[in-house]
Parts: sequence; C-alpha cells; structure tokens
Amino acid sequence: MAHRVEAVGGEPPGTSPAATAAAPRRLGRGGMERGEVRSLYLLAAFLVCAYALPFVIGIHYRTVRADEAWLHYLATVVLSGFLQGGVYAMFAVGLTMIFGVMRIINAAHGEMVMMGAYLTWVSFFYLGVDPLLSLLFTLPIAFLFGMALQKLLLNATVGQPELTGLLVTFGLGLVMIYVAELIFTTDFRTIPYAPRTVQLTSTIAIGQNKLVSFAMAVVISVGVWLFLKLTRLGKAIRATALNAEVAMVCGINIRRIYLITTGLAAALAVAGGALVSIQFGFNPETGAVYTLQAFAIVILGGRGHYVGALIGSFMLGILESLVSLMVPNGTAMVELAAYGLLIAVLLIRPGGLMGVKEA
Amino acid sequence: MIRRATLAMVVVVLACLPLGVGAAQAADEVVFGGAISQTGRFAEPAGRQVNAIKLWADDVNKRGGLLGRKIKLLLLDDKSDTQTAVKLYEKLITEDKVNVLLAPYSSAITEAVANVNERYKMPFVAYGAAASPIWEKGRKYIFSMVAVAEDYQKGALQLAKKTGIKKIAIIGEDSLFPRQVGVGAKQWADKLGIQVVLQENYPQKQMDFTALLQKIKASGAEAILSDSYFADAVAQLRQLRELNLNFKMFSGTVGPGLPNFAEQLGSTAEYVLGFSQWEPLPDVLKYPGMKEFIAAYRQRFGEEPNYHAGTAYGSLQVTEAAIKNAGSFDGQKLRDALASLDMMTVFGHYKVNAAGMNQHEGLTFQILKGKRRIVWPESVAENTAELPMPEWSKR
Repeated sequence: MAHRVEAVGGEPPGTSPAATAAAPRRLGRGGMERGEVRSLYLLAAFLVCAYALPFVIGIHYRTVRADEAWLHYLATVVLSGFLQGGVYAMFAVGLTMIFGVMRIINAAHGEMVMMGAYLTWVSFFYLGVDPLLSLLFTLPIAFLFGMALQKLLLNATVGQPELTGLLVTFGLGLVMIYVAELIFTTDFRTIPYAPRTVQLTSTIAIGQNKLVSFAMAVVISVGVWLFLKLTRLGKAIRATALNAEVAMVCGINIRRIYLITTGLAAALAVAGGALVSIQFGFNPETGAVYTLQAFAIVILGGRGHYVGALIGSFMLGILESLVSLMVPNGTAMVELAAYGLLIAVLLIRPGGLMGVKEA
Repeated sequence: MIRRATLAMVVVVLACLPLGVGAAQAADEVVFGGAISQTGRFAEPAGRQVNAIKLWADDVNKRGGLLGRKIKLLLLDDKSDTQTAVKLYEKLITEDKVNVLLAPYSSAITEAVANVNERYKMPFVAYGAAASPIWEKGRKYIFSMVAVAEDYQKGALQLAKKTGIKKIAIIGEDSLFPRQVGVGAKQWADKLGIQVVLQENYPQKQMDFTALLQKIKASGAEAILSDSYFADAVAQLRQLRELNLNFKMFSGTVGPGLPNFAEQLGSTAEYVLGFSQWEPLPDVLKYPGMKEFIAAYRQRFGEEPNYHAGTAYGSLQVTEAAIKNAGSFDGQKLRDALASLDMMTVFGHYKVNAAGMNQHEGLTFQILKGKRRIVWPESVAENTAELPMPEWSKR
C-alpha cells in the first residue's frame, strides 16, 4: 500500500482531522517534504489573494465604503455566509463519509437532502410537529432508508469501478425526484418556521431560522465527530475507511460497517435537508443544487476528509457572500468564484485542502 | 443473480415499449400538441396554462368539436428546459405529426422553439411569452397575446413616483424574460425621473439572497423592483424580513400573481406589488365570456383562474376562431387567419400588428389582506395603493 504516504501532513496547525489521526505518520510535522511545505505556502498566499480580490474590485467600483453602516452590512453578510457554511457542512460530511468508506460517489446525495426537506414539511403541515422535534423520527427513518439502500443497491457496487456507483446513485436520484414529484407535485414549498429576525446589535440582524439551523448543524456535526472519534463502532468505520481488507482481517464485519455508514450518511443528508427546508423554498428538483454544492465542498476539502469538508463549507459560504456583496453584478458571479476557487486549490494541491484519503 | 435482474429489466422495458409508440390518430380527431413545463421551476405558472388548455379542449369537444373533428391533446413535459423543449417540438411535428401546435411556457423557451415551428410553417399564439425580442426577428408563424415584458414594471414605477420614491434597485433572474423586464423598467424609471442606483441579475436557482439584499440596502435604494419568477421572489421577501431590511416598496413580476404566493408567505406577502396580465374580475374588466370561464375553471380545478390560465384560454379562443375562419387546420392558412383576426376573448382584445404582436395593457396589483387588489391603471383600480410599506417590526 504505497500510496498511503499521501495521507500524512499537509493540514494547517490547530486542526486534527479525525481520519488522518489514525493514519501512520511517517513524517512528523517538522519533517514535511519540501514540496508539501511549498504547496502550503502557495495555498495560503493564494487564499489571501482570493479573499482580498472582492474587496479590491469593490474599492475600484466604489461599492466598498469605510463607514460604519457599510461595515455592518459586511459583518451581516460574512456572518450569514458562515452560518450557511455550517449547514452545507452537514451534507458534505455525509457525502465524504460514503466516499471515504466505500469509494462510492453518491450522486443521489442532494435528493436525500430533498427527501429530508419533504419529511420535515409533511411532519410540519400534516402532523403539526416542530421541525426540530421531527428530527427525532425523521433521522431513524433516514437511517433505515440508507441501510435498505445499501442492502439492495450499493452492496453490489462496492469494489466495482467508481463509475458504477456513480451511475447507480445517479439513477437512484432520478427515481427519487420523480417519486417526489408524483407525491408532492413540482410546486415550491416553504416551511414558515421561525420567520422572525434576531437583532444581534442595533444594526446587525440575522434570521431566527438561520441561527436555529446553524446551532443544530453544530450539535449534529460535533455528535458525529465524537461518535467517529470515541466509540468502538466509529473507530471501526474509520478503520474500514483506511483499509477495508486489513479491517476485515482484524475482525471487523465490514458489510455491517457499510450498512451503518450509508445509514449515517443518509441521516446526515436528511438532517441537512430539514435545516435548509426552514430557510429556503424547495421542490423535488432542488436536490441537484445541493449535490453540486456538496461535491464542490468535498473536492475542495479533500475527498474522504471530515474536517476538510467543514473547512471547505465555511470557505465557500463566506467567499460566495463576499463576492455577491462587493462585486458589481456579483450574485451572477458567485458560481464562477466558487468553482474558480475550487480549480485553483486543486491546481495547487491536487488532493484538495487536506489531500485525498486513500484506502 | 445480477444476470437475472438484468433479464427482468429487459423484459420490463420491452413490455413498456408498445405503450410509447406514437399517438394513433383516428380520422375524426384532430391532434393539438405542445410541450409545456409540467415539472421544474416553471411548473407553477405553466401548470395553470395546462389546466386552461384541458378546459378549452373539453369545452370545444362538448360543442361538437372543431370543423367537425374532436380535439385530442398531446401535451409533453419539457421539464422547464430549453433544449428539451426544442427536441420535443421537433418530435411533435415530425414523429407525432400533430395538426396544430400549442405554445410552450416562458419567453426563453418560446424564443428557442420559435425557430422550430417557423421552419415547419406551423403557427401558434404564444400565451407564455412576453419578451418583445421574440417578435423583432421577422418571424411569421408566432403571434403574441400578452403585454410585453418591458411594461411589467410600468405600473409599479408610476406608483413609486406618486409615493415620492427617488432611488430604486432593479434585480432579476438572468434569463430572457426577466432581463427584458429589467430593460423596460430602467427605461420607464428614466422617463419618470427615478434614479436606478443598482441593477443586477442573479443566476437561475439562486436561493440565498442575503448578500444581494444587503448590497441593495447599502446602495441607498428605497424600493426593490424584482424581475423574478416564483421561488426567487418568495426567497427574497422571506430574507428581507429575516434581515429586517425595510424598503418603501417591493414589486415582483410573475410570483405575486400566483395563488400560492400569499398562501406561502402569509403576512410577509402583504403590501407587495405584482404584475398581472389579467384578473378573474368580470365586473371590473367586463370581457365577454369571463364569468362562464371563471366558473368552469373554479369548478374543475378548485381555485380561481389566475392570469396564466386566462391568457392560455384566451389564446386558444383566438386559435379556434382562426381555424374556423381558415376553414382548415393547414399551417399556412391558419397563419394568415391569425394575422388578420380581430376579436374579443375572455382575456381581452386580440388584433396583432405586422410583427405579430398584440396590444394588451397589463394590471398592477397589491396584495392586501391576502388578496390581490388592482391598484393601477386607475381606470380599473379596486383600491388605492398602500405605500410606502410599513416596516417589518410594525406588522
């Protein structure tokens, strides 16, 4: 397993990705390869430039002002980008988990997010359950759904070329879209939950629902992280991600681990869906947007890395907000900026911020 | 096991095949075919047009059909996607051999499809398109029904002027129709002496408008003209409230006119201005046949027809009359009849100019206590506009 070397080093100080922690560290932090160090410096320099660029453009076009009112607008926008990033992280982590453990690129991830939104919508309007409380039963449903999926569909694609899993999940996504259209029609739905505003200072206000979503996202993400870090089962999942064959030799039932991983990933996607459903409108086809977003984040952060996905989410959320606020006609350029960032990071570090986790 | 599954799949696919083979056409039937967005982001407005099309076909068949033949509808779904629509129209014309074409929904899709039906010389009345560039290319087989996109914000701007608003921001989705609405809004604003301090387009599927809305506030605009469809307008209003950003006026285009708008937004939809081509108000508009159409639509679909439904029904009345005048379903004869026809419909007057464009004046309404109330033009206004909008904290 020669390619294992790649998994070490390369993380900024102060972070410790759950998964690399278990990887063998052949080189200490002081002993990083020179190329590695150079690419890190290059990355840091690039990121500074990337985030400064909207300001420079803004100053040029006079959309940036130094007065207090404008700084408050800036603060609001950065804050909301940060909060948004937290929610994106939820489904990006699910996506990266399936990839890390099974090498399956789940193209139906956005549709699972969409499913979460509809589950929440149904329990809100038909059962009258609070969207946060409804997580108590939508998450087990999602977990079972994920397990069933693994059993019936994905088990056949584990170990096959990556394209197989991609195609199967792509088909699954289409089926989910059309089933949702059959049941719910294509009308846009919204959940009027916590629509009020929270006045943080006299001028900075943020939606109640955004704060609630973010808080839940943090609770769930920390929960998952602790689970992976501390429990026997979590360790078994990480071991399987590192090397399925060795894990099997060590007595881990990897079929069971696959079941649990997909269940967990589906639950995370559904939780993410619940959290976006109280902020944005959705219809059966909104899933595709979230799939793309999750993909971008996962690739940016480094495939298979949980902490990478977290960092990637915040980076994208904040950059999108800055571009939209300061660049003229910037909202139209948000995607250009996001994918430009992605490509540039990949050019500097082909494995993403944290490097690809190889099994 | 995998092999068995594959075999089963092949059998299922084969079994389904005969169902998909072309629409068999009986001699006493005439096929009206079109691709219209039944899924995707246009499904909300286009779905209402599908309703109206079905209602019209049944009405005609109840009256004994058209030129002695029963109407059969062949409605495909373009999934709100331009490329799909173009492919489906090629298919409708060459494979399904429909007799008469029905128009698609949205200016962008109509613009693309207009090249196809032009080539095959099959005309239609475009009930789903309002962007005037479609009629500026010398096309001969497409006729307009509705007020042009450039006039959608005309009423709102007149009201802004009356309210004393001096600076506005114009935002809109980055596609043909909203962009044209923006172009027209800018022209009207210039004419009325209102300064446009920010004009921006956002991509389709944009859901988070936080930064854009902050930017508008920072630009000093007092009012927002949002050239939007449904989901984006809903998102913008929700986020304005969440961010506690107050403006004197918010004017949407398509969104506020849809029945679900006020329903989904509740009190957040109050005081919002919207544009309508038509409203189900027979006592105000006084077009012939309105009462009967509204009653029939309500009975069948359980809601009041909105302007999309009214436009489609009116356009089909026009098509029906033109076919009768032409005495044939032939594309060329129908085209000539459509070009010279002069009639009243449930939607209003139809008489096109040399470019194929109908002259229709739209309405501006305001959502007041959950209902759309016409506030402009004054000749048909039900209420006076309540502007500026109260601040969020005072609602």
